[in-house]
Amino acid sequence: MAINRDSNRYTFSFAIVLVVVVGSILALLAMGLKPRQDRNTEVKKKLDILSAMMDIDALNINRSNGEAEFDKYVNLDKAVVLDANGNIKEAVVAFNIDIKKEYKDKTLNSKDRNFPLFVGAKDGETMYVIPVVGNGLWGPIWGNISVGEDLKTIKGASFGHKGETPGLGAEISQSFFINRWIGEGISDQNGIAIKFEVVKNGSGKETTKVDGITGGTITSVGVQEMVNRCMKPYVEYFKTL
Amino acid sequence: MESTLDIFIKAIFSENMIFAYFLGMCSYLAVSKTVKTAVGLGAAVIFVLVVTVPVNYLLENYLLKEGALEWLNPDWGVNGASTIDLSFLSFIMFIAVVASIVQLVEMLVEKFAPALYGALGIFLPLIAVNCSILGGALFMQDRQYSTILDATAFSLGSGIGWFIAIVAIAAIREKIRYSNVPAPLRGLGITFIITGLMGIAFMSFSGIKYGKDEVKAKTVQSDDTNNINP
Amino acid sequence: MSETVKTKAPRNPLFSKKNKKLITDPLTDNNPVTIQVLGICSALAITVQVEQGVVMGGAVLFVLVLGNLIISLLRNLIPSRIRIIVQLVVVAALVIIVNEVLKAFLPDVSEKLSVFVGLIITNCIIMGRFEAFAMANKPWPSVMDAIGNGLGYAGLLILVAVFRELFGSGTLYGFPIFGDYIEGNGLYSLGYVNNNMMILPPMALIIVGVIIWVQRSRNKALIEEY
Repeated sequence: MAINRDSNRYTFSFAIVLVVVVGSILALLAMGLKPRQDRNTEVKKKLDILSAMMDIDALNINRSNGEAEFDKYVNLDKAVVLDANGNIKEAVVAFNIDIKKEYKDKTLNSKDRNFPLFVGAKDGETMYVIPVVGNGLWGPIWGNISVGEDLKTIKGASFGHKGETPGLGAEISQSFFINRWIGEGISDQNGIAIKFEVVKNGSGKETTKVDGITGGTITSVGVQEMVNRCMKPYVEYFKTL
Repeated sequence: MESTLDIFIKAIFSENMIFAYFLGMCSYLAVSKTVKTAVGLGAAVIFVLVVTVPVNYLLENYLLKEGALEWLNPDWGVNGASTIDLSFLSFIMFIAVVASIVQLVEMLVEKFAPALYGALGIFLPLIAVNCSILGGALFMQDRQYSTILDATAFSLGSGIGWFIAIVAIAAIREKIRYSNVPAPLRGLGITFIITGLMGIAFMSFSGIKYGKDEVKAKTVQSDDTNNINP
Repeated sequence: MSETVKTKAPRNPLFSKKNKKLITDPLTDNNPVTIQVLGICSALAITVQVEQGVVMGGAVLFVLVLGNLIISLLRNLIPSRIRIIVQLVVVAALVIIVNEVLKAFLPDVSEKLSVFVGLIITNCIIMGRFEAFAMANKPWPSVMDAIGNGLGYAGLLILVAVFRELFGSGTLYGFPIFGDYIEGNGLYSLGYVNNNMMILPPMALIIVGVIIWVQRSRNKALIEEY
């Protein structure tokens, strides 16, 4: 062959051609798929919020019809953003806030975090959906908790996790654990936030106590910490309503 | 909220690269026949991880991530730089950084520390394709460490964890020569099973309580754990 | 003269004995995972569920086949000094494609696989096959070789995942086999309990160890001398 494959010139030109070709293919692909990926994340977020209000599996709400169903139940215009003391923050769009990111960000003072609150309605009853985020055993855990019209009673919840131990900590996303939260009150008659305690001894029927998951203690405690911490600004805000 | 020390300890024990994520298994199995070579490879992994993860961290945060290019001055003729999202290029960037840093380190070590090169030399090229190095970079990206110090602590911890794992298995393999292992299990098979058992032992470290979340949940008004952290 | 003969011979019968062997060998006696000890890094962490194993196996197969083909086509053009970097770039580009497509069309699986998709890049099977086979062989045998190794890898992954999901969660590909665990019906009403150990990472290693054991006791030629 006429080309000297070991010459510097050939090596350089080959590298440049390769980089240009690969770079443009990838850029095109990424640009083409980006809208779809962004939509996926958006739909997932909407599904998470919805799942705190109702059993989305039973109602056959999934990725394909998630957006339409979401619009039926939740009015994003009514959503507000609170600061750490429960006051409304203007000029912040609730849906665009990434609380997971804010929670991880050490450079952000915890007082400056945003606390979005979504307002929806199901069967004529107003529901307030509170997103929460915290740490489990292996990584982040998160969820949404919906509070009923009385601004006290938990009507539903959904929890998610990144990598909790399957069969143990990962069970927080199962309905049996979520059902233990339903019906609990988030504040007492004086409007003071209740501090939940996830217990092991089966005394979860008492108010302020919720049964944890056998073998998933650290994850359960993570959920407890997450709910207690995240609820506070909302309880303050609910007092003003 | 995790402190830097938490991240470091966690990376060594409960999130050990080998026992929890199986990263770098190929060289772990291939180069663990004697303790001496295992120490060499383990040291090289620590070294390369500590160098590459912070570099990749800077790349991730000032080049690739959505909004990472915010520092570009609009006066330079670049508009809307803060909305550019290059994260789809991260795999290729990370592996290029790893490969070139390994090459660079190899050359530098050869020139300035021939003795160290004699000890690490043959292992360095192997490391470019060691999953634990790229894994370190990808976990760093995935977990979004908020400061470079955290990222470095994570990489040092992961490296040390990997070192402990390979030296331990090499020591066991040296001894197991003298035991009567069923013939079909000899070599690879028994190494897998031992690694599994060691993994089970390491799982007990997951009981370590990290962070101050626990305390925080009990005391109402301590909101600023952030600021206490180093 | 001899060159022309060489180029023709493997091309005519697409499924000649030699080519078939390229596919079947890695499935059993030359399995990339259990015999060549390649690609374990990313293999074990994601075998908790069969679905993840299938997706991961498919992704590796895709990257391996296309990558082997590309490298084999370029094998006379690649400058030898930057050979490894070129191979890395090809793998990384293919993996990015896989990752982006997964994110767009299978977002839930992509979330579960998280960093392990990216780790396909350093999956030793891929670089190993590029270096050992595709750099020296024509496109068609390279594709065969890739299919064989990819299937061997995917097969083992799925085998491990079947054990782990069946005994760990009582399901296969998400479908309950032993009855509903939470409701406590089916086998669970008889007192059967899922073995949570199976789901934990170390059991993957032990299962692979046992598979190696079984394989080597059936084929004595594979037994190692420490």
